[in-house]
Amino acid sequence: MALVSGAKSPLYAQRRRRNGIAMALAYAATAFGLTWLVLILAVLLWNGFSGLSLRVFTEMTPPPGAAGGLLNPILGSIVMTGIAVIIGTPLGILAGTYMAEYGRYDKLSAVVRFINDILLSAPSIVIGLFIYEIMVAQMGHFSAWAGAIALAVIVVPVVVRTTEDMLILVPDTLREAAASIGLPRALMIQKVAYRAARAGMITGVLLAVARISGETAPLLFTALNNQFWSTNMNAPMASLPVVIFQFALSPYKDWQELAWTGALIITLSVLTLSIVARALASQSKSQ
Amino acid sequence: MNEQHTAKAFDIDLQELSRMVAEMGGLAEKQVADAVDALAKRDTNMAQRVTDSDNAIDVLQREIEERSVLTIARRQPMAVDLREIVGALRLANDLERVGDLAKNIAKRVIALNAEFPPPKLIRGVEHMTDLVLGQLKAVLDAYARRDDAKAMAVWRGDEEIDAVCTSVFRELLTYMMEDPRNITFCIHLMFCAKNIERMGDHATNIAETVHYIVGGAPITERRPKGETEISALAGTNV
Amino acid sequence: MTMANFTVPTVTSTVTSADGLTEKISVRNLDFFYGDHRALKTINVALYHGKVTAFIGPSGCGKSTLLRVLNRMYDLYPNQRATGTVQLDHDNILSPSQDLNLLRAKVGMVFQKPTPFPMTIYENIAFGIRLYEKLPKSELDGRVQHALERAALWNEVKDKLGANGQSLSGGQQQRLCIARTVAVRPEVILFDEPCSALDPISTAKIEELIDELKEDYTIAIVTHNMQQAARVSDFTAFMYLGELVEYGETTKIFTAPNDRRTQDYITGRFG
Repeated sequence: MALVSGAKSPLYAQRRRRNGIAMALAYAATAFGLTWLVLILAVLLWNGFSGLSLRVFTEMTPPPGAAGGLLNPILGSIVMTGIAVIIGTPLGILAGTYMAEYGRYDKLSAVVRFINDILLSAPSIVIGLFIYEIMVAQMGHFSAWAGAIALAVIVVPVVVRTTEDMLILVPDTLREAAASIGLPRALMIQKVAYRAARAGMITGVLLAVARISGETAPLLFTALNNQFWSTNMNAPMASLPVVIFQFALSPYKDWQELAWTGALIITLSVLTLSIVARALASQSKSQ
Repeated sequence: MNEQHTAKAFDIDLQELSRMVAEMGGLAEKQVADAVDALAKRDTNMAQRVTDSDNAIDVLQREIEERSVLTIARRQPMAVDLREIVGALRLANDLERVGDLAKNIAKRVIALNAEFPPPKLIRGVEHMTDLVLGQLKAVLDAYARRDDAKAMAVWRGDEEIDAVCTSVFRELLTYMMEDPRNITFCIHLMFCAKNIERMGDHATNIAETVHYIVGGAPITERRPKGETEISALAGTNV
Repeated sequence: MTMANFTVPTVTSTVTSADGLTEKISVRNLDFFYGDHRALKTINVALYHGKVTAFIGPSGCGKSTLLRVLNRMYDLYPNQRATGTVQLDHDNILSPSQDLNLLRAKVGMVFQKPTPFPMTIYENIAFGIRLYEKLPKSELDGRVQHALERAALWNEVKDKLGANGQSLSGGQQQRLCIARTVAVRPEVILFDEPCSALDPISTAKIEELIDELKEDYTIAIVTHNMQQAARVSDFTAFMYLGELVEYGETTKIFTAPNDRRTQDYITGRFG
């Protein structure tokens, strides 16, 4: 009865009004954000799709005015991203494991976590500059190695963070259960904790890949660019973001078109990775 | 138990059980007194009232049983609470038997309707009744106060009733030999004496139960017994 | 009443080996600290082979803490330490030289929440066995089956050994955990409120299981359910505020405890 009569009280009406306003604002903000996203995707599709053809994947970047594709930057991106992940993932997982498992109650963990968070939000251009200083400047030339390492430096904090978070989500009772049958800690982490956190950790790596595959700034200072096919890790190497950067700023119409296509390819790959990561994450939750 | 249960309804259940047992005890005491009074005064009407009101005791016993079972099922009592409830059940049983024995005496009064024996024959039985009523009253008091010492005193006191019972039997035997016209009446009296002696046994049972409720352990010592050849003859196996 | 003043536990019945009981674990003057907080105060208690000992008491009385000392589970966490001695057979398991993994293989534990590992039912069991023994496949299969049979789970899972252990129902998961514990061939099994997350039927199954297991093991169980303690245990210890208030035969504790605090707790008169 109290509820029913309360429904008609002025206080309740006021509360309803406020609720309505807050909800309208929330919807408006969401719509605002989504509009820009849709516009970006639309423009990208509009401009990039027209240039999409088999040639893009089979031919090298052309000189201005000539026909060509994006094979060398695609390959360069894959190679450098791959190497960055190969270097960064184990480092990140080991560090994350230390923080979540061995050093959970240590001061050192808190310090590492703090520094890692700074690294996580560091502007990528700073990282590029840093690698330029310690590698490119020392070696005297740009190189794919420097690019890959710059990207690895970006990968590490992402993987550290997700690994730690995911391992901390593994319930302590599971650790105790593993310990209770006499499982040594290292085996417990390997066989039980990693297994329970697997989906989340893979998601972390995929997110890191998505992040670095779109990075331009660190590569500008390190791998630079290469107009030709090159698998030499000690030489400059082309990559999609840098090629897009260069072509998009050029005055040549066909280069600009290729830049749009490259942007579309990156966007689609990142989107795919994100979706896969999402799917894995939700799968691990439903378990 | 001065400290209360977290679940107050449990306290109420236990208090109610205890109250019902006390009420039953009062009724049983009154029945015994009235029955022997009817015997002494040769009052058939009074005897009839005693037989009629035995039903009230039976009803109370059933109610105590039901309430105990319900409380056990609902509360899963432990330790002292469990003993309280088990004790109430046992007390109700003993008191119901005491009521039955009183009713039996009343029935004999009705059966003896026409006879007028000399009053001296009844004196021994009356004395026994006084003793047993004292025991009953004391043991119910011990129950009400959860007084182990008092209960143990009752338990030891039964010996005296047994002894008096034996002497009453002997006395009645002489009366029967003295004058065969006394035989019917004396046999009835012997049964009444035996009934009263049984009531004394129930009083000791109740004393044992009180001891169990309070302490949680059965009595280990052997009870002094006043068994004689005559009480054995009459089938009073104490 | 003030309860903190009492420090000497009442031993309801002095149980000696003359009663045909063998002490498997004996705890002497055990103190336990979480940082500066003294969670257990001079505990003295024995666990007997082939018997179930129940630990009861209000939340925070230290009963789970005591259990976690017996397999040194507390070692997983910092700032927790125990003093005194805990003899398992003839070794003091509190000594720093004690190999924790061997100890835990000997003293198994079943937890409040079922904790199957994220792997198949078969692997959940085989995993622990492989840690300490290298067995041919057929023998391993036999051991897995035997463990599942002991936990009364075999008939329910024999056709889906490859299914994920976490896909089982709560009661089945708990029995899987018992099977996993049994598979390692421990000597002591600690149950930390094993039924608090289970329905009455699953609870009855676990209790039945404990009853069957006790012939071969030394069992300790922590439970909030006093009726459960009364049903499954041979000995009961009542703990309060980190002290062992009363320890004795279960039949005695639940019908006529000596200590007033024990009585107040088991009859529901606590505060």
